[in-house]
Amino acid sequence: MAIEKIFKDDATEEKGERARMSSFVGAIAITDLVKTTLGPKGMDKILQSTGRGHGVTVTNDGATILKSLHIDNPAAKVLIDISKVQDDEVGDGTTSVVVLAGELLREAEKLVASKIHPMTIISGYRMAAECARNALLQRVVDNKENAEKFKSDLMKIAKTTLSSKILSQDKEHFAQLAVEAVMRLKGSTNLEAIQIIKKPGGSLKDSFLDEGFILDKKIGLGQPKRIENAKILVANTAMDTDKVKIYGARVRVDSMSKVAEIEGAEKEKMREKVQKIIAHGINCFVNRQLIYNFPEELFADAGILAIEHADFDGIERLALVTGGEIASTFDNPESVKIGHCKLIEEIMIGEDKLIHFSGVEMGQACTIVLRGASHHVLDEAERSLHDALCVLSQTVNDTRVLLGGGWPEMVMAKEVDELARKTPGKKSHAIEAFSRALVAIPTIIADNAGLDSADLVAQLRAAHHTEGCNAGIDVISGSVGDMAELGISESFKVKQAVLLSATEAAEMILRVDEIITCAPRQREDRM
Amino acid sequence: MAAVTAAQPRSSKTESYVDNKRKEDIRQANIKAARAVADAVRTSLGPKGMDKMISTANGEVIITNDGATILNKMEVLQPAAKMLVDLSKSQDAAAGDGTTTVVVIAGALLKQCLLLLTNGIHPTVISDALHKASTKAVDVLTAMAVPLELSDRESLIKSASTSLNSKVVSQYSTLLAPLAVDSVLSVVDPEKPEMVDLRDIKIVKKLGGTVDDTELVKGLVFDKKASHAAGGPTRMENAKIAVIQFQISPPKTDIEQSIVVSDYTQMDRILKEERNYILGMIKKIKATGCNVLLIQKSILRDAVTDLSLHYLAKAKIMVIKDVERDDIEFITKTLNCLPIANIEHFRAEKLGHADLVEEVSLGDGKIVKVTGIKDMGRTTTVLIRGSNQLVIDEAERSLHDALCVVRCLVSKRFLIAGGGAPEIELSRQLGAWSKVLHGMEGYCVRSFAEALEVIPYTLAENAGLNPIAIVTELRNRHAQGEINAGINVRKGQITNILEENVVQPLLVSTSAITLATECVRMILKIDDIVNVR
Repeated sequence: MAIEKIFKDDATEEKGERARMSSFVGAIAITDLVKTTLGPKGMDKILQSTGRGHGVTVTNDGATILKSLHIDNPAAKVLIDISKVQDDEVGDGTTSVVVLAGELLREAEKLVASKIHPMTIISGYRMAAECARNALLQRVVDNKENAEKFKSDLMKIAKTTLSSKILSQDKEHFAQLAVEAVMRLKGSTNLEAIQIIKKPGGSLKDSFLDEGFILDKKIGLGQPKRIENAKILVANTAMDTDKVKIYGARVRVDSMSKVAEIEGAEKEKMREKVQKIIAHGINCFVNRQLIYNFPEELFADAGILAIEHADFDGIERLALVTGGEIASTFDNPESVKIGHCKLIEEIMIGEDKLIHFSGVEMGQACTIVLRGASHHVLDEAERSLHDALCVLSQTVNDTRVLLGGGWPEMVMAKEVDELARKTPGKKSHAIEAFSRALVAIPTIIADNAGLDSADLVAQLRAAHHTEGCNAGIDVISGSVGDMAELGISESFKVKQAVLLSATEAAEMILRVDEIITCAPRQREDRM
Repeated sequence: MAAVTAAQPRSSKTESYVDNKRKEDIRQANIKAARAVADAVRTSLGPKGMDKMISTANGEVIITNDGATILNKMEVLQPAAKMLVDLSKSQDAAAGDGTTTVVVIAGALLKQCLLLLTNGIHPTVISDALHKASTKAVDVLTAMAVPLELSDRESLIKSASTSLNSKVVSQYSTLLAPLAVDSVLSVVDPEKPEMVDLRDIKIVKKLGGTVDDTELVKGLVFDKKASHAAGGPTRMENAKIAVIQFQISPPKTDIEQSIVVSDYTQMDRILKEERNYILGMIKKIKATGCNVLLIQKSILRDAVTDLSLHYLAKAKIMVIKDVERDDIEFITKTLNCLPIANIEHFRAEKLGHADLVEEVSLGDGKIVKVTGIKDMGRTTTVLIRGSNQLVIDEAERSLHDALCVVRCLVSKRFLIAGGGAPEIELSRQLGAWSKVLHGMEGYCVRSFAEALEVIPYTLAENAGLNPIAIVTELRNRHAQGEINAGINVRKGQITNILEENVVQPLLVSTSAITLATECVRMILKIDDIVNVR
């Protein structure tokens, strides 16, 4: 401390052992927070917002929990970031990745304590990760050729993903929904085309998949409630009056009749605009902005279904699925692409009337209507379903499939253990530690289910000593079971992403030997 | 709890033990909070349940017996307690009635869960068992239910009056129950018999008189006066009604405009022009034979001016102004007419026809009634009267519940006995079923069965009867096979409740049980409360 004042006031610096300790503690604290949500018997968390309204979210989704946390520890932030990346990349395994990274760090902590250099640990981890990945690659099943089998694979994956979520009781039903929705996409990972609508009331079982698109809007007054072979123009234009948008523009007149004339002219302008829109040869007009009474009546007279005030998301999707584009000028009917669909009708879900577009241009499009007891249930159901959809769409592209229930971890752990035995030098300790971290995942799954994890994992390890074993933890019966028979599968892509990004994150945190916290920006009103 | 959080050690050796302690604490805190909410509404259950007086933040006072309303106004903060409030809302949306029941059941289930948890059963095991039990319960209820035909008006009225009997307005149930049934039946579309949109039933509240004066109006009722300016007509037979969305007032452009008056003579001219302009519009209206105008409220400019009202009165046109835009759809549907947004489009075919439009004095105000509408749409209006605002509001809520009950029956045509009979039967059957189950599951299902007894217990308690005597007696009767034996609160004894005409829709019971179970399972699964942004 010879030179003081390198940094600004309030800036702090932590060095060497202290810095590493603080990273470890932060990362492990985060891991402990989310690890109880892992697995089919994982628990949920209430997220209570400290902001206005004290909103409450109940969730089991690692990414959602981590995203909303207040975190001041830099290492913990790294973990949150990898969970976010995992969410964006593959959509599922957001908890697993954080837990694995945390376990790796926990092991590393012990190694560092026994005087092994972090760099040695890192290179050991790298070797172990490579080895684990190869172990998985050897055991993957790829049913790309066999459509029938592949579909059943998808069903299994969907069920496995959903079994750890709120939808677990109705996983059969929702797995079916998710697989059908993803199969419609025909290989594209554009989840935009799958619309999820949440309607409170009913129970989760009443949720259903509907082809086409549902818009949560009402049909204008006096207009047809059902249109076949609809031609749809999607627009974002002001339908009150085309105001002269020059600041301070005003007209000066000297008599009432002139005012009336101007008013008439404004009306006439509107009428022309409506005529132009009608001239597109459409029978359905969807506008993002309000449609006032006057044009609404004109549309009604022309027998056109006009929908006002559709939200941004709504019209973009609508334009996408009906194959139209969003128009804002109507002078060239030829240049505007008009959307098509076979049937527009009003349907009733729960207490609300919605507009259903079926037989749309983009055949992939479909809508999943979620029903549930409350908003909490619905929000959580949406997150769960989203996870399932993500995983499935990834699996459609990368058709390699693994078994689940702690099976991949055990397979990897076994290979990594063998590698440790073959490797000379201090690295072998790190490799061994890696295998211990892998085994931690089945341990946590068992712990969360209230099972005797030590016993189960020991049994599992013994079972895995035989070649070609399918043993994993059967949480429901609380014993070691055959995962292939139980139909518990996971996508290879998810597992690989978990493995690689967790290792990377652990490596990154391990490398740190100094933390410099900059002086916080001064703010007048702290929360 | 703060002490536990602080004591949480960072070393990995002892952590698992302390962690579990914290989780147990959170779970217990959640359950306690949720039960506190349930206890708050418990006394309002049943025909002899008490009401609650709520004084809201803005000084308003509400007296109600409706569980959903009480919970809604309670402004709870604890997250688990909030979930119970939401639960009651969902029941309101799903079935409309039984909003207290659902919360009371959830509270009882939580109480049992706490016991199971302290016995060391894993929450997910309890949760799964509850789910199984609730599925089974729905099966049992469905088996108990009695099918119903929509033509069976008597049964419909019976179930509506069961719902009304627990409300403040119970003494009027003989009047309100048939009213609710008739109004729902009149909006059922024969093409889609399963769908009832309660928005097609408009409820108009008017102070004065008593609830006895509440009536069903085949037509429209506006809680407004007809315009009296310049002695316009207030009664019109053979009315031709136009719903207009434009304004009868001096023109106003969207562009800012100003009229430049440079000398005295111009002023006169402008006034004259204004008069001519309005007169022109009114002539066009008159030409179509229209004699009643409903004018939509406008925020941009005056919908009508004194001048135009004067001319309309001269032209013998009755005017009702300030109709809300949201009401336009209902009005046009009822009158079977189209709204007119521009004077140019004012054509005779857009008008609606009614035999009589008249202004009626009621209590301290006046309303306008439109009756004898030609080709009336499938809508109906209920005019609620009451001696004070609190009674009227409560009557509206009660009527809404009754309407929902009838709607439930329309969409799911099964009736079930009331008076605690289904719950005690469920409890008995599930209790028997639990004996054939293995392991923890059987134990949990038995607790579920016991929890359901809370309904008859509370009913008896609220009626001032001896709950234990009543519940044991009920069990006894049910064990002897009288599955419809229930508590007759009026007589204070146990009778065959179906014969007493105490019936309720199956949907209310099943949805109460499934929703309560779903909510309890969610609370069970929570092991931490995290403060976030």
